[in-house]
Amino acid sequence: MPRELSVLGVLIPTILPVFLASLLLQGALDWVLSHAGVYRRLWHPALARLSLLVCIFGGLTAWLYR
Amino acid sequence: MAPQSTISPSASGAPWLRAQFRLWARSDGERLIFVARSAFAAFLALWLAFRLGLDSPATAMTTTFILALPSSGMVLEKAFYRLLGTVVGCGAALLLIALFPQQAPVLLAGLAAWVGLCTAGAAMHRNQQSYSFVLAGYTACMIAVPALEHPAGVFASAVTRATEVGLGVIVAAVVHDVLFPRPHSRNVQRTVQARYESFLAFCRQVLEHRLPPQEAELTHLRFAADIAALESGRAAAFFETGHARGHSRQLHAFNGAFMTALTTFYTLHRLLHRADPDSPVPALVAPLRTMLADALASGRLEELPAALATPVADARAALAALDAGRATTIDVETAIELAERFAAQLAAFSAIYRGLAQAGRQQVSEPRAYAPKTPPGIVAASGVRAALALVAAATLWYWLAWGQLAIALVMTTVFCALASSSPRPTVMVKQVMTGFLVAAPLTFAIEFLLVIRASGFPMLVLAALPLFALALWLMTDPKRAGIGIGMAMFSSQFIAPVNQMHYDPMAVANGMLGQTIGVLLALVIFTVLLPEHTMGNREHVRAALWREALGAYRARLRGDGAALRHRFDNRVRDLLSQLNAAAGPTPPLETRVVVREGLTLLELGHAVIELRTLNAASLDPAVRDSLAAALRRVAAYLSVRRSGAPVPSASAAPCAAAVAALLDAGRAIRAALPAAPPDQATRMQVALADLHAIYTSLLDQGERHAP
Repeated sequence: MPRELSVLGVLIPTILPVFLASLLLQGALDWVLSHAGVYRRLWHPALARLSLLVCIFGGLTAWLYR
Repeated sequence: MAPQSTISPSASGAPWLRAQFRLWARSDGERLIFVARSAFAAFLALWLAFRLGLDSPATAMTTTFILALPSSGMVLEKAFYRLLGTVVGCGAALLLIALFPQQAPVLLAGLAAWVGLCTAGAAMHRNQQSYSFVLAGYTACMIAVPALEHPAGVFASAVTRATEVGLGVIVAAVVHDVLFPRPHSRNVQRTVQARYESFLAFCRQVLEHRLPPQEAELTHLRFAADIAALESGRAAAFFETGHARGHSRQLHAFNGAFMTALTTFYTLHRLLHRADPDSPVPALVAPLRTMLADALASGRLEELPAALATPVADARAALAALDAGRATTIDVETAIELAERFAAQLAAFSAIYRGLAQAGRQQVSEPRAYAPKTPPGIVAASGVRAALALVAAATLWYWLAWGQLAIALVMTTVFCALASSSPRPTVMVKQVMTGFLVAAPLTFAIEFLLVIRASGFPMLVLAALPLFALALWLMTDPKRAGIGIGMAMFSSQFIAPVNQMHYDPMAVANGMLGQTIGVLLALVIFTVLLPEHTMGNREHVRAALWREALGAYRARLRGDGAALRHRFDNRVRDLLSQLNAAAGPTPPLETRVVVREGLTLLELGHAVIELRTLNAASLDPAVRDSLAAALRRVAAYLSVRRSGAPVPSASAAPCAAAVAALLDAGRAIRAALPAAPPDQATRMQVALADLHAIYTSLLDQGERHAP
């Protein structure tokens, strides 16, 4: 996987689209979890949400830069 | 600042201490946590910016100060909209520079147009969406102005700006959401409960004649502000964790049901208030009123529509037995119709409230978003003002060839745009100015006495922390929030060192002078240029209210008119809430007159919309023609009143014509009523009640303008 993508001649770090994608994934997961009422059972829902985002982003990057 | 204790110190030690601590934690403790959290976010952003080697770490830190808001939902919402506005603004700057490279006059004219458009757009929106528009405007200015001399560097500076803001936004969002967060949804829950209770209490007081009419009007004004506040709270809570999306729809439905019930109640209240105390009307309606008041007191509202059937039948029987005059019959029939409608709406409102309170999920059909409305004069004025401010500052800067004024130009644009969505812009700009003036010597001293000797990041934190903590503490005090924001914004731009640090007292002093001149220019522009065209200006709101009422007649009607009714109701209440924000806690008499006019127009507009929907359905042709004629006359009267100052002689004739047409329509309906099939008959009854509502509200308006 290239470190940088060239979009119309502008070099963009590959991390950026990956981050945006993980935000989208996180949004979808968030929707499912809040509908299932999981967040209401947690001590610190915001922390759980952040950790999920970190896991998703970390997983995607690790998979890309394997 | 010490909270008053309600527990006597003689109570045994530990519980007393714990109660004291809890009181402290709820007031000053919460402010301290806010200060600690925001300062942590600021220094974390600064450290990360250094670590990543970004070009201007100060921007990232300033962003965290701008995003320092009390609850996590608000921070997340503002963060989202700040990112959006910055990206759009950067794009606009790149486009402008690409179109007019190295042609300063044309570029500045283009920038003025862009800033004007964005500020006008901001005036049409509320809360953080409005902020996003403002930001898109002045970000373009921030990037394009320094790039005038070196157009080739514009792309790099746009990328830098977006990166720094992005970093600040991410850090602030994470820190405020995770570190001792204060969730907004709990706040919203509390607001909903308080509103439900205060509405029930208000209705009961009015029905029991315990509230003077002026008080009732002020309560309506406050409710309008509450509706807008709940809408903004809902928007903030939307971004929080575990906030079910269905909850958002329920809150929309809650606000909608509240508005509908409030309008019907106002009409009912006016009717009971107008009724002649010597006529049999009050006595006939009394059982209905007691029934409603009792149900409101017990809070059992779901059974109310069914329970109301008996007193309604009794009242109708008594009316028939009495064989009273035509006026009495109309009054009582209208009151019954309104009471039944109110009972049904209360039941719906209460059901939605229960659904919200028990956090249960309930299917709410077709929620409609809140529709704000700003008087067009104010929208245009804020756009023109921001554009002219930029042109004025650019004239000073470019043709005087005074280099330092470039920063002044940016600051003028920023504050002209930011303050234009505030009801009292001069007060806001003055507060920020005070913050700047207080922060300038402190920043200078800290920079050249402490930071210059600091070696390493921890020392820098130690040197800068006291000033930032003071600014953040001031931000938690609603009366001095503007000063705190000004201090934080000002000092964070100068204290944060760049990666290759060089200390130049002259450059710093010049920069400080330029920023202060910019804010001063913004203040001058607000006092000189269209000083009356601010949010919630009485005359503008009044004109907009009349225009909305006319819109209720002219706007296209789709389906059963629910969308139109919702929009009309929202916009009128939004105008009233702007009026409330501008008037402050004790509205003067002139404001109350506008409120009364607005409430009457609300009643009139709803009746007009309902008559239009009834007319669109199949009715007897003669009835339909007379109703259409009456509506036309009413609209003619509204358009006379809308255009220009209320001259009694000019509006008296259309008013009389409208009243005559309404009476004609009433006669036509009553003539057709006995022969009508049952489903048409009920519709005609509704139409009669609406005609009566329009008639009485026209009389109300007429009375006030009788010579």
